[in-house]
Amino acid sequence: MIRLVRAEFLKLRTTQVWFWLLLAAIAVTALLVVAQLAPHDGVRSEDDVYSVFTSSGTAYVVVFVLGVLGVTTEYRYETITPTVLATPSRWALVTAKMITYALLGAGYALVCVIVQLAMALPWLASKNIDVSLTSNHIPAALLGVFLVVMLFGIVGLGVGALIRNQIVAVSVGVVFLLVIQNILPAIPGVKYAFPYTPGGAVAAIFTVVGSRDVNGATLFTPVGGVVVLLLWAFVPAILGAKFTLTRDIT
Amino acid sequence: MTETGVGTASQDGRIVVDDLTKVFRGNIRAVDRLSFTVEPGSVTGFLGPNGAGKTTTLRMLLGLVHPTSGRATIGGLDYGQIHGPLGVVGAALESSGFHPARTGRNHLRIQCQAAGFPDQNADTALGLVGLGEAGKRKVRGYSLGMRQRLSLAAALLGNPRVLILDEPANGLDPDGIRWQRGFFRHMASEGRTVLVSSHQLNEVQEIADRVVILNRGQLVRSGSIAELRAGSDAVQVRTPNPDPLLAGLAEAGARAEQTGPGTLRITGLPIEQVGHLAFVHGVELHELQPENFNLEQLFFALTQEGAPGPGLQAIDAGGKR
Repeated sequence: MIRLVRAEFLKLRTTQVWFWLLLAAIAVTALLVVAQLAPHDGVRSEDDVYSVFTSSGTAYVVVFVLGVLGVTTEYRYETITPTVLATPSRWALVTAKMITYALLGAGYALVCVIVQLAMALPWLASKNIDVSLTSNHIPAALLGVFLVVMLFGIVGLGVGALIRNQIVAVSVGVVFLLVIQNILPAIPGVKYAFPYTPGGAVAAIFTVVGSRDVNGATLFTPVGGVVVLLLWAFVPAILGAKFTLTRDIT
Repeated sequence: MTETGVGTASQDGRIVVDDLTKVFRGNIRAVDRLSFTVEPGSVTGFLGPNGAGKTTTLRMLLGLVHPTSGRATIGGLDYGQIHGPLGVVGAALESSGFHPARTGRNHLRIQCQAAGFPDQNADTALGLVGLGEAGKRKVRGYSLGMRQRLSLAAALLGNPRVLILDEPANGLDPDGIRWQRGFFRHMASEGRTVLVSSHQLNEVQEIADRVVILNRGQLVRSGSIAELRAGSDAVQVRTPNPDPLLAGLAEAGARAEQTGPGTLRITGLPIEQVGHLAFVHGVELHELQPENFNLEQLFFALTQEGAPGPGLQAIDAGGKR
């Protein structure tokens, strides 16, 4: 299994997509930190600090995209044939990919967390807001970032395995994550579905403090959010492994 | 780890296709109760027109396509059961299975990593197929011939006992084809099993010891080139007085057809005996020559009418004498 994971990492390293998407994740994290700290009515007291430290969680979108590409690229360029010739067991292949993309998510999360800490800690200090890494629920925020970004790598794999067409899978996934699920709470009737969406799960995980009410729909607890996200990660990946990867490769 | 995975049952590199059938969605019968074997130590040509089911058969053999019924095994095992398959079976299926932004060498390194071979195997394989330095370039810039060579390099990574190659000569220049011919012969001479699908029949006639001919998913003919030749060798005769010769040939059990005024095409009798018959019947000959064996002609005779066609019966009758 270790050599399969290393082969998957080698696949990632030998094209440049990972690099550009890592830059994108860093840029978005930095922008979010700036957006929260720069305005005059932004972070003013210790109570406002928590959400600054969830900024790096947005890296989940790019890791999701990488996960989708991790499966769909194999089909697009037909590298699935040599991949399966080397590893005939589809379950071994899927397990290796899940481990790889979870580890990849951890790496992206680590880089983005470092960026966020390097920006936020000195900035907060300059505003005379006293913050330590163990205060203000910051450990919960950072743990949440790692969990979210790691699991979204697996969510991406599952979506990629179920949709297979690269352009469709990436567009549908990104539009759903960034647009559709975020307007759900504004729609009467379907807003109660929001807590069950991946975005609802992320919101729950990052709501350690404050109200869990989103426009009348109630988010799960952070632990409940993790459970929902685990389902989003593993159910599509297992279905994809069972129904897509075992299909004939012609 | 270079020599990993050659399990005891796979030591024997025999390929056995047994009553194999594949029906695709829409009731398309791509392969229909196909049976044949491929022996180690030989180059076997796998022939058939486009859509005959060659690629589907090879993909079933490699566990990429699930058979509807029947079985295809290598050394007695399904591909999926072979421990460390890249060390036992090398397959080059088509030239498109590469990420364009990846270098040829990196493509091979990924395969090595997954199979547990050292990266050095990638460099050795690149050298063997003559890609060497080109391996450091991205596949995007490769010609069709270079992609074919890279495919072959991937098949060679684990120094396998069995080589399965789908149309490997496509896109190669004449030099490349000549090199490949020698290479396959060399592999077979080392006791390896080499199965090569092709539609370039003259090429196959040059390199293959045996052929398996497929049409519309069914086996039309399999056997050694020598066997096929024995059944289809013909003698051409030109004479101003064919009738006594025709009578003599009929007595001797040969088949003769009149192909023009005074010209005959005779099958089922060696050329020396045809000459002898002409002599004893006092027939003057203006021409007596063997008709060269031509796989292409045989192939078209076998595949045009569907299987088994009249061409096949004629050849079988000839072969039995």
